[in-house]
Amino acid sequence: MFWHNFKYSCKVLFRNKVLLFWTFLFPILLGTFFKMAFSDIEKNESLSIINLAIIQSEDFIQNEVMHESLLSLSKEGENQLFDISYVNNSEAQDLLSKEEISGYLDFFGDEVRIVVNRSGIYETIIRFVIDEIQSQKKLIETLIQKRVNEEIEKGNYEVEIGNILREVKENVLSQSVTLVNSSSKNMSYTMIEYYTLIAMACLYSSMISMYITNYKLANMKSVGKRIVVSPSHKISGLFGSLFASYFVGAIGLVLLFLYSIFALKVDYGTTLFPVIILASVGLLAGILFGVSVSVLVRSSEQTKTGVLVAISMFGSFLSGMMGITMKYMIDTNVPILNLINPVAMITDGLYSLYYYESFSQFTFNIVSLLCFSVFMILLSFRGLRRQKYDSL
Amino acid sequence: MTVFKTFWLIVKRYRAMIFIYTILLILFGVINTTNNDTSLDFTDSKPDVYLVIEDENIGLTKNLVDYISRQANIIDSLSVDGLDDALFYREVNYIITIPKNYRSDVLNGLSPSLVIKSTGDYQASLAEMILKRYLKTQEVLISSFRNEEELIQKINESLEHKTEVLVTSKLDSATLNQVTQYFNFASFSIMAIIIFIVSIVLSSFHDFKVSQRIYVSKMKRNTHNRYILMASFLYSLIVFVLFSILGLILFPNVLLSFRGILYFLNAFMFTFVSLSLSLLISKLVTNKEAVSGIVNVVALGSAFLCGAFVPIEYLPKSVLRIAHVLPSYWYIKGNEFLKLTEAFNKDSFLILLENFLVLLLFGVFFLFFNHQVTRLKEKKN
Repeated sequence: MFWHNFKYSCKVLFRNKVLLFWTFLFPILLGTFFKMAFSDIEKNESLSIINLAIIQSEDFIQNEVMHESLLSLSKEGENQLFDISYVNNSEAQDLLSKEEISGYLDFFGDEVRIVVNRSGIYETIIRFVIDEIQSQKKLIETLIQKRVNEEIEKGNYEVEIGNILREVKENVLSQSVTLVNSSSKNMSYTMIEYYTLIAMACLYSSMISMYITNYKLANMKSVGKRIVVSPSHKISGLFGSLFASYFVGAIGLVLLFLYSIFALKVDYGTTLFPVIILASVGLLAGILFGVSVSVLVRSSEQTKTGVLVAISMFGSFLSGMMGITMKYMIDTNVPILNLINPVAMITDGLYSLYYYESFSQFTFNIVSLLCFSVFMILLSFRGLRRQKYDSL
Repeated sequence: MTVFKTFWLIVKRYRAMIFIYTILLILFGVINTTNNDTSLDFTDSKPDVYLVIEDENIGLTKNLVDYISRQANIIDSLSVDGLDDALFYREVNYIITIPKNYRSDVLNGLSPSLVIKSTGDYQASLAEMILKRYLKTQEVLISSFRNEEELIQKINESLEHKTEVLVTSKLDSATLNQVTQYFNFASFSIMAIIIFIVSIVLSSFHDFKVSQRIYVSKMKRNTHNRYILMASFLYSLIVFVLFSILGLILFPNVLLSFRGILYFLNAFMFTFVSLSLSLLISKLVTNKEAVSGIVNVVALGSAFLCGAFVPIEYLPKSVLRIAHVLPSYWYIKGNEFLKLTEAFNKDSFLILLENFLVLLLFGVFFLFFNHQVTRLKEKKN
């Protein structure tokens, strides 16, 4: 009975093209869109070389510290910050209006004016660097003054300013600061988008189980009526169909995983085994969720699909599919929402495997998903047990 | 008139879908308006920094904290346990840990290392520049000034310089950015709502039995089609007006201007293209169940590839090249142009006209293709 139901349920499911679109193709398509839209977003958010113009003038050439510092900051290499064009006034204005440069520098006397189109991060960095160079000048002056005073206090009135200047300049320019960076290497927040996609696919599998469970319900399909009046073992039949749903859902999920690993280059952390466990449990939660909606919502198939899609999409929204800020906002302000949200449980589990070295969060998510699944089983059995018909 | 009324009866059945897309657009617009930095003068960008102060907050330690507080936004509403999560979700760009005995170690000539955590983006790079500048100044001065008070005074004197910055643009770029993002996102809502509803309604009319009844009725085929077109056009117009009113409520200052009229004109052209595309889709797809999938592929695909969700400057060049074949790209390009245009002159109007023309060509192409498909289908019937 079990295998008979399994076989025919698989046939029924594989023949439903709309269902296959939503559970197999739609997550893959969405993942492709994510990849196309987000592939450069993090690269664009890291600091890149800033296009800057300098108006060539006598004042600029005379300003030795500024001249040398800007030259070293525009040297090709790892530390290059600027790509500098040396131009005249009208060329600088033209480049700025065409947005080909972030700003230009106009020197007058010892001072410099920065001209930009608007306030922004690159404009702030230009100002910051120019401020820093000006500060260095001030620093050199302070240190020279101090050294000269010390020499005079020692009674040495023939101070070699040139030597002091050279020493101080060398000291200031060669000074470097070391910071201990303890950030995680895995900081790619766009991964969350792909994790919500996997979680959404697990929950979308609920449509498969809902569709197949409808065949067991007398109020939904004529097949259901025939099953209800037949002397066959109901639970064995239902398990056969559910196993088929799990099997079909697992095929979709495996395809999505393979696509996400090889085509989308999604990073699931160091070990794949816990990811497989999490996805399997997530899929189980999705399948059982579909069964309970099928049993508890006494309405048309269209309404049940609507309920499943609405809950899955809302869960994905809360888990950060439409912007990761939402997940963080919910986690910090209304944590209970994501604690009962199966999409968030799966997303969180994948996130913890990617970002954290310990398995505590992962274990918590697995246990939460199992609890959710058990709750769904209890709800479904309660609903199925109470179904009685006076006539069919 | 029966055909016209039937159209609206079916629309009414799917009002929940219209409601959802409208709410999405409102949510997007409202979230965008939370950034109210609309100054025309230059304002420095400030990274979000969290400070873990393990040392006593006095003297040199306090001076470092004060300096970072002036240059960055100090985030102090986070719990220490949640710091790593906050960093990953970009709630904070940079975390600086000032170790115990930092102050005394500096004064004793030791160079205590500060532990940092960074998101690695440009805001974090700026935070690192700020920190390194301070520490470098302190390192240089410590060998010459051992007295703490004098050292603090000299550090602050060295760091106080602010260069003059001249902003050339007289545009309120922050508000214009919000308006542009609203209209860019609206491309998704407009396209999805129009394609979904028009395709669903028309597929009801294209149902085999229904079309057979229409054929045998005394109403002329052309009259029937005219009513359908009129209703579809009116429906699209209502969608356009609805989203325009929402835009006006959210951004009255920008949209009640000549620039605003151009934004609306661009949106109207896009509405026309969406309508013509939906007429074509309804002709090609007769299965009602498939419509929802088609809407998601076409509307979501266009939105992701053309910059409705992700700002166009963040999209890879290869994706933008592909996007040239989609009408959403030209609509969003028009919005981006309106955002940046300082003054409207002959050149800027020519660029806008080119965009409108491309949108119009898309619309005409879809209508022509629709006409050909209709003729082929009628011949077949």
